Amino acid sequence: MFKYTTKRLIYSVLILFFVMFLIYVLMYNMPSGYIETKARELASRPGATKSYAEWLADLNAQYGMNQGVVAGYFTWLKSALTGNWGDSWSWTIPVTKEFHNTVWYSFILGLVSFILEILIAIPLGITAARKQYSFVDYFTTVVSMICISMPTFFLATILKYIFSVKLGWFDLSGMQGRNYMNLSDFGKFLDVAKHFVLPAITLTIINIGGLMRYTRTNMLEVLNADYIRTARAKGVPEKKVINHHAFRNTLIPLVTTLGGSLPSLFAGALITETLFSIRGIGYASYQSMIQGDIPFIMFYLAFISILTLLGNLISDLLYAVVDPRVRLS
Amino acid sequence: MASYDLNEVLKKREQEKAKSASSGPGSSSKNQEVDLGDVSRVKVLSPGRQVFKRFIRNRLAVFGSVVLIILFIFSFFGPLLYPYGQKQIFYKYDYQNVNYALAKENTGYNGYDVDSSVPVERSIVNAMNSNIKKMIASGTEEMSVIGTDGNYVIRRELPNIYTLSSQDLTMVCGLGDSNVKIGTWSMIGKTFTFEEEEIPGVAQAAASIKGASGSFEVDGVEYTFTKGEKPKTFDVFTVKSGLFYTGNEPGGDFEKDLKKAIDSNSTAFTSGDESYSIVSHGSRQDVYKAGESRIARVYTTYTLDTFETGMKVSDDLRAAALMAATTDGSFSSGGSDYTIREEDGELVIYDADGKEYAEMNPFSVRRYSGEDTMAYDLKKAISAKVSDMVENGEKSAVLTAEIPVQEENGSYSVDENGDFILNETEMRITQRLEGEYVINCDQINYVIDMFAAPSGAHILGTDGDGFDVLARVMYGGRISLMVGFIVVIIETILGVIMGGIAGYFGGWVDNLIMRLVDVFYCLPYMPIMIILGAMMDAIRLDTYLRLMVMMAALGLMGWAGVARLVRGQILSLREQEFMVATEATGIRIKDRIFKHLVPNVMPQLIVTATMGLGGVILTESTLSFLGLGVKHPLATWGTIINSVSSASAMAHYAFIWIPVGLLICFTVIAFNFVGDGLRDAYDPKAKR
Repeated sequence: MFKYTTKRLIYSVLILFFVMFLIYVLMYNMPSGYIETKARELASRPGATKSYAEWLADLNAQYGMNQGVVAGYFTWLKSALTGNWGDSWSWTIPVTKEFHNTVWYSFILGLVSFILEILIAIPLGITAARKQYSFVDYFTTVVSMICISMPTFFLATILKYIFSVKLGWFDLSGMQGRNYMNLSDFGKFLDVAKHFVLPAITLTIINIGGLMRYTRTNMLEVLNADYIRTARAKGVPEKKVINHHAFRNTLIPLVTTLGGSLPSLFAGALITETLFSIRGIGYASYQSMIQGDIPFIMFYLAFISILTLLGNLISDLLYAVVDPRVRLS
Repeated sequence: MASYDLNEVLKKREQEKAKSASSGPGSSSKNQEVDLGDVSRVKVLSPGRQVFKRFIRNRLAVFGSVVLIILFIFSFFGPLLYPYGQKQIFYKYDYQNVNYALAKENTGYNGYDVDSSVPVERSIVNAMNSNIKKMIASGTEEMSVIGTDGNYVIRRELPNIYTLSSQDLTMVCGLGDSNVKIGTWSMIGKTFTFEEEEIPGVAQAAASIKGASGSFEVDGVEYTFTKGEKPKTFDVFTVKSGLFYTGNEPGGDFEKDLKKAIDSNSTAFTSGDESYSIVSHGSRQDVYKAGESRIARVYTTYTLDTFETGMKVSDDLRAAALMAATTDGSFSSGGSDYTIREEDGELVIYDADGKEYAEMNPFSVRRYSGEDTMAYDLKKAISAKVSDMVENGEKSAVLTAEIPVQEENGSYSVDENGDFILNETEMRITQRLEGEYVINCDQINYVIDMFAAPSGAHILGTDGDGFDVLARVMYGGRISLMVGFIVVIIETILGVIMGGIAGYFGGWVDNLIMRLVDVFYCLPYMPIMIILGAMMDAIRLDTYLRLMVMMAALGLMGWAGVARLVRGQILSLREQEFMVATEATGIRIKDRIFKHLVPNVMPQLIVTATMGLGGVILTESTLSFLGLGVKHPLATWGTIINSVSSASAMAHYAFIWIPVGLLICFTVIAFNFVGDGLRDAYDPKAKR
């Protein structure tokens, strides 16, 4: 187990190295003179603390874009590994600081919708599998398909249209109401929570379909297994068959996938956060991307690449932990 | 085992049956008996038909296919039948609050030719307005202006009426330092003709003149010479100071009058019966005697309004009227006689019958475009209202007046006599500048038909650019579907090649390719697409080009999944007997992979491709919605929704984005249903 984990870790680091190289190449090929233009723009900003030459030297020292691609990549890698991720160009504060400012909003949003997702999708998926070809089954199948096929921006727009424009229950976007500054601490919390309702619903609906389908398919597979037939033949009550024999076995793939998606709770929801102006990491990175903020983009892409690799690793390890039949080698 | 084709056998049986039936009824009963073990009892379908049969049993899959077929017909054949294009802008006539008219106190002077035979220099004409203002400022009645080849006099005839005359001037005398001509030297006659008394020594010195111009000195006085008017003659000048005469002295009180004029700083004076003008050149003043002067132009701030609406009046009439106003008031122009009289600060022109013909007044009311097409009464009403406003110190006021009625298409309604039909309209007069007022009212204008609600002409209405939404939905469908197909094809081709090579060769090749797959799996594709979009924005890439870049990028990032699938399948397939057979028969490796292995992966490939299409369409529409995918004039479903994504547009124009959003949903759902159905049909055991 330890050996396997170590091997996978080394492996992941290697993959990360190449992923970041590809991303660096993309950044390296930004339109010509981009760094120079950016340095000039940064230096002429109100309250700029560094001159053009200083900015240029800074940027080149950190991103090595005045060198060849490979040499430049190692320059960047060196400064990144020493924890020097630079100052964000669009937020004008250190990248890591902006990350700290935003990531927790994303995490809360992700966590809430993650819990909602589990609470809704798994029971529905299991019911659908138990009563295959019934109305519930068709309903679940169609609903999950609609959720999978719904573009995030369309769903968000519909929700805004119904709940903000027509019913007026929520604000269209943003994280704080108009009276935020006059509220008590608890009032502030409730105000922010209210602004998180629509984004959380959006995220839940978008992700619920996949989990519902996955649960249903796996439950069906288990229900058709020989040991279930044996249990039923032996006269085990149906309730016990479902709850003890079938459900526990369905949990194996569910736990591994859900565990694997835990790191991505930190990744933020790029589109949803942008559409609802939630100042999470997804929103911050979207703004950085369209403004060509290389330091923040490099940081964010590295961050989500790590999260993806971590997720894969966790789900593989969990598989072995949950299912005693699996031997890692 | 000998080859045994069931369908062949069945066909043979059918033929035999047909033969026996034709040969006679007696022999048929024997042949029809078939024993239980006979293969022909079982009707066998070809694998393709089996899949098809299973597919059409799945209701959701059939629903999906029907939706897709309708969608394809809609997107690819719809535009052929639909009358509108995707970039066709629609217009309509609509009421709009427009700047209807402009009323202002005239401050500029307009000139009219009185006598066009009198030449006037351009520079003098251009400087008229500022010269007149100078005169008003200093309160002078008359001003002399010296041009480069003539002399002019501006004279105030009446308040607001000035004339510009060309004048023959003869210089009488000069004051201060001036270059005075003392005589002419003729080289032919060797004679010096003095203008006045002879200066000793000059004639001798002039004999040595050479060249075009120069100077010489006699008794400490410097003389300059230039070539004279006649050939071989030179004019000789010298600088004189004080008062000197260039011609005959006028005598009398001239010098006294001149001194008075110079002391009082005026530019003109009279002495005896003659009038003189003084022109300053720095420290020197020249005094000219005014000769005959001819009036060339007349300048005024008055504008002419005819009583009959929209009548064109020639500039000649204006000039004649203005000139007449300065004298007895009667004039003729264009063969008719008129009289002009001043009444309450306005000049009114009467025709020969004594009827009011037109009016000149310093306050002009014109259509905002500058045309003089407004009725006299309306002009009067507006100027009366404006003077009320001035009295009350108001900045804006409302006036209800009759203005011509417009028809639906913007033209003016006329009755049977060709007169405009008038209608009471509310007009708002607002002061814009000192002495300048804008009159606003509602008028029918030809405008872009923006955000028109759904109607018979535009089934889904029009968008913010006046484009027909349904037409754009059709063309958008084309692009969205095409992007989906091209990306999936790129993905599949790349995936099959990489996966096929990895799976067949195994070993280090497999390892290398699979690590590449891992890397591509890990690439965050949505952020990368957003960055690419922003980069293409920065270099302002052409719309079609960026569409291609986007498709290529999506294809490049999506092949990893296909490669993994193909490799997995091939790993198990290559151990089977038929692969040993291909090796034994010596088939080339390329053919072994792509002709024998890949076709066996086809079902899974088709299923993933179909499911992938939905995903690509989602990605493309999201990118276009963010404004980073396909760009504006080109329609895709994402850009149509993007065009109404602002909060207010979203709230008011739901008829645009809801149908389009539903269409995206339907398309993706349909692709997913068909993909599901195909998977179940190909491999019925997989799900159960």
